[in-house]
Amino acid sequence: MNDERLAQTFVELADTLVDEFDLVEFLHILVDRCVELLDVSAAGLMLADSRGRLQVMASSSENIRLLELFQLQNDDGPCLDCYRAGEPVDHPDLATAEDRWPRFAPAAAGAGFRTVHALPMRLRAQIIGAFNLFHADPCQLDRSVTQIGQAMVDVATIGLIQERSLRRNETLIDQLQTALNSRVLLEQAKGVLAERHGINPGEAFTLLRNYARRNHHRLTQLAAAVVDGSTTAAELLSTSAAAPPD
Amino acid sequence: MTEASQVDRIWDAITAHAGALGVPVSVHTLCQTAADGLPVTGVAVAMSGSFLVSELICATGPLSRQLEELQLTIGEGPTLEVLAGTGAILIEDLDAPAYQARWPLFAPQAIDIGARAMFVLPLRIGAIRGGVLALYVDRPGRLGAKDLAAAWVYSELALELLLDEQDGIVTQEGQSTSYRHSETRPEVHQATGMISVQLGISVGDAFTRLRARAFADDRPLSEVAIDVVARRIRFDHEDTR
Repeated sequence: MNDERLAQTFVELADTLVDEFDLVEFLHILVDRCVELLDVSAAGLMLADSRGRLQVMASSSENIRLLELFQLQNDDGPCLDCYRAGEPVDHPDLATAEDRWPRFAPAAAGAGFRTVHALPMRLRAQIIGAFNLFHADPCQLDRSVTQIGQAMVDVATIGLIQERSLRRNETLIDQLQTALNSRVLLEQAKGVLAERHGINPGEAFTLLRNYARRNHHRLTQLAAAVVDGSTTAAELLSTSAAAPPD
Repeated sequence: MTEASQVDRIWDAITAHAGALGVPVSVHTLCQTAADGLPVTGVAVAMSGSFLVSELICATGPLSRQLEELQLTIGEGPTLEVLAGTGAILIEDLDAPAYQARWPLFAPQAIDIGARAMFVLPLRIGAIRGGVLALYVDRPGRLGAKDLAAAWVYSELALELLLDEQDGIVTQEGQSTSYRHSETRPEVHQATGMISVQLGISVGDAFTRLRARAFADDRPLSEVAIDVVARRIRFDHEDTR
């Protein structure tokens, strides 16, 4: 593992947490960096809503997003077990995990994943979600890897209860509700772009995210502007392509 | 999993209340159940109206009705701000200088009427703003974490009941809420965005059209949404009535 890159990542995450903080974007940075630093194939993050239902908040790729959704829809898989037990759940070879997860294990293998590692997102006594690392090969994840993974999960949890929200007299549950609603808004914006450009929702997300980054917009605000029509899809495409480097 | 059972508990309380009164489950029975179950003086649900700034759907007790009407009359207050798109507004004490400064007309008058604490939660689905759930208390103080979590559950159920009422779906005592869980699938929201472009309408109207289609075809909402995203179903102006 590259220690320098790891240190940079924590600085980057800490920077994201200051003003104009966008939780959805923050969680996406987190899963991307985990894939890069922990040398895993994919990562996904789920949060629980006020009813205790898990929702996919961020994923490093579209196929991992679908696999996370598959777990939720089939009520079967390591992330759910991890969330319910509040303990890490792992399996070194999903090809032999059909007894444990009769629906998830074949689906994961079909998607090209052999190892899973699910870490709980814990805030004091409360479990607020689960973070999942996947590997394409059967392997035992190194202890140092899972420790860094857990540290990053803890940073994500801090992101949810950042000081700004406390000053505004919000509580964790309000933050979670806002975050989950931002995710819904993002899906609506993806639909708007997908229809306007004849692209799929995954491509629409890439378009949104690249534009937000290049122009220093908050992802959630950009999604809102796309849905209400104040940022047009054409604008998004043209500026995205022509954005000056900075 | 304690939170999931909290939903069941709240839903059971609402349906039991409706059953005792011999009426269908509605936003009204939800407000009454919330007023009984939470340490508050009054509960109101207001919707974003098309002409009015807000439309009061129900209110328990005279205090909550007066407070909602006051905000409509003077054009300021937390309900209107939450309807306009902010997150939840939680006010421990309306008499605090910050709130007196923020709402110079509303805050003193609200205290005159008898309110001291207010907790206003948005009813929303992404960009769709359905309304608010407002809780009023006649003394200052925070709403505890457990009660606040319950309030969010009430707000989610209120939105579902409002949508059902809009679609003409009537819920009787004993009916489970489980069929609604499919609404959390992302395709539902992606399809909503797509339909809004296909028909040139707002996402709120697009969501109504999607639900109406699922209801008319007697199919789960998520299935219809998946077909829209896969471009097997398209909404055209021709079927606009």
